[in-house]
Amino acid sequence: MAELIEAVLRGLGTGSVYALLALGFVIIYKATRVISFAQPAFMLAGVTMVTYLVLEVSFWVAVPVAALLTGLLALGVERLAVRPMVGRPAFVVAIITLGVDVAVRVVVNAFIGLDVRNVLDPWGLRTVGIGGIDMQQRHLAAFLTTAALVAALFAFFRFTRMGLAMRAAAYDQEAALAQGVSVGTVFALSWGLAGALAAVAGTFAAAGSSVDAALWLIALTALPVIILGGLDSLPGAVVGGLAIGVLQELTATYQNHAPWLGGNVSVITPYVVMLLVLLVRPYGLFGTREVERV
Amino acid sequence: MNKMGPLGAAALLLVSGALAACRGGESETSEGEIKTDVGVTAEPCPGATDQSKGCIYLGIISDLTEGPFRALAVPITDAQKAFWKRVNEDGGIGGYEVDVTKYVRDNKYNPQTHNQVYQEIKPNVLGLAQTLGSPTTAAIINDLKSNSVVAAPASWTSAWAFEDVIIESGANYCVESMNALDYAKEVYNPKSVMAVHLAGDYGEDAAAGAKLAAQSLGMTFSAVKTDSGADKQAGAIQAILTAKPDLVIVTTGPADAAAIIGQTVARGYAGRFIGTSPTWNPALLQSAAAPALLARYEQSAPWNAWATDSAGHKAMREALGSVTPNDGYTSGWVWSYSMKAALSKAVENGDLTRAGLLAAAKSLTSVDYEGMLPSGAGNYAAGPNEGAVRVTAIYKADRAAATGVGQVRDLFTGPTAKAYTLDGPCYEKL
Repeated sequence: MAELIEAVLRGLGTGSVYALLALGFVIIYKATRVISFAQPAFMLAGVTMVTYLVLEVSFWVAVPVAALLTGLLALGVERLAVRPMVGRPAFVVAIITLGVDVAVRVVVNAFIGLDVRNVLDPWGLRTVGIGGIDMQQRHLAAFLTTAALVAALFAFFRFTRMGLAMRAAAYDQEAALAQGVSVGTVFALSWGLAGALAAVAGTFAAAGSSVDAALWLIALTALPVIILGGLDSLPGAVVGGLAIGVLQELTATYQNHAPWLGGNVSVITPYVVMLLVLLVRPYGLFGTREVERV
Repeated sequence: MNKMGPLGAAALLLVSGALAACRGGESETSEGEIKTDVGVTAEPCPGATDQSKGCIYLGIISDLTEGPFRALAVPITDAQKAFWKRVNEDGGIGGYEVDVTKYVRDNKYNPQTHNQVYQEIKPNVLGLAQTLGSPTTAAIINDLKSNSVVAAPASWTSAWAFEDVIIESGANYCVESMNALDYAKEVYNPKSVMAVHLAGDYGEDAAAGAKLAAQSLGMTFSAVKTDSGADKQAGAIQAILTAKPDLVIVTTGPADAAAIIGQTVARGYAGRFIGTSPTWNPALLQSAAAPALLARYEQSAPWNAWATDSAGHKAMREALGSVTPNDGYTSGWVWSYSMKAALSKAVENGDLTRAGLLAAAKSLTSVDYEGMLPSGAGNYAAGPNEGAVRVTAIYKADRAAATGVGQVRDLFTGPTAKAYTLDGPCYEKL
């Protein structure tokens, strides 16, 4: 039983990272109707900034500063590479974001250099034990931070004028424009928010581990997450992220009962889930069901 | 062309003809008494020390930008540049200097890319001063053989003992793991061993060595295949925690090894780890896994580390100057000696063609490693089993050491590796 609970807790930790990444994807999708494949690059850029900043200031200062800087970087990329494409098919813009991803990662890789880099987080691989159940501190920290950020995002969308504008633009861009909402600002802010969230996600992905050029691959797991949760659903991103994280950890923990599946089947579980969801419920758990009239 | 006149045109034709013959042409020419064909020119190397000497072009295909072994590959390549610079400054090889700077290509540790860049440089090089990686080199091995292109590998699979065109140095992964187990038997006496390894020649060769040694030492053995990437180790971690072996032989990249060792120890695993040489990177001492690495990890290595007191190590440190110490440099330097010996032998034989270099390499009975490997190493004439180098050193993580690892045991051959008959690539026996 303890093994099961510990696996679930680990899953919630890694799932929190997926949730933060998926939130970025969904925020951009809701605002612009485009899946931005540049999120992995922003995650890598953010966490690399943290590895440099922690050498000068404390971890607690480094992470918000890196998140802010990554948000500004994402905002700049949106302004330069994406805004001129407004009105073009979403497919074209998505392909541009793929290019942005590669370009940004090439630059970031030069900053990562040859050796692995470290975020020097305060948790390391230490655990906290409650009633015989051990949980790694970094997983607890990831979960609590995600919970706080999700609450803040909810409050932002629910109670602020800008949040209302973003919801209006997500619902109907032209109507929002007619009501005086600056859709351009909505686009920029959504990219900035997604960039900042990616930086925080990257930091937790590297906490207790290290940063190398291959870290960006973690961000790809956000794709199965948003398919599961629903492309345009913020709660879906959170629930999907946590669910995929828990599922992955449970598979890793119990895969020895099915050795014929191979030694590392947990790596592909998110994609198996994605395939099943696409077959059975293509709009995901919480996504908007598209109605097409023929 | 009209303005040049017939004489000028004829001269241009002659020059271009000569260039084609020297650079890329397949036809054989004689430079003095030495026969040459591809990748050897009468013109000096770019930036030659002695402008009167010809040039031997060797290619380098390495993991230079984004692959998993770039932290080793870049210093390996820099050390090889320094090695050949020293050779050139000491008078070159016969009437030639050696260039390893013009045809350097990045394989991104991808076999397809490796083959692609090899095909690009093949018409211009005599041989390869470096072909990094086992799976990547496997992608070009048939081409190397059919064109008699001699290559110094930057990998340690036992398959190279069976390839005449590959002039490997040091003990292969298989022998290294056998020695690691012989060492462990003596020091910790483990009853059970698990090999956690990447797929392909690198991981499977080491795992096979561990399996063969475990069988002969009466230990129980299991193997777990894993993937490259710190986030992809959950399966391997769980396998270790479930089976609780006394010893884990790790054959992965450094970030993977840190994830496996750090997290299994954090979750209560009480055994020990020995990693093959590419599992180490000094930066891991700053990672969260550092306490676990310092307490539980040892590294097996085919030759001694950067700071060792040997003529070769000293020459290397002098040639490289004030770089941050890294054992990638040591490896790149050691791997170059066999190519130097083969080139010298080929010049001595008066045949610097590709076939001539291959014949020279096959006839070598020893290579002078300036004390970095024991005398007698580099006996390619003796065949795979008799010629195989079987020494391994053991290191442990140590913050005070130049490359983050301090020696625990000097180069030794354990009883298992000594008795083993290398009759085929080890990984076929996993």
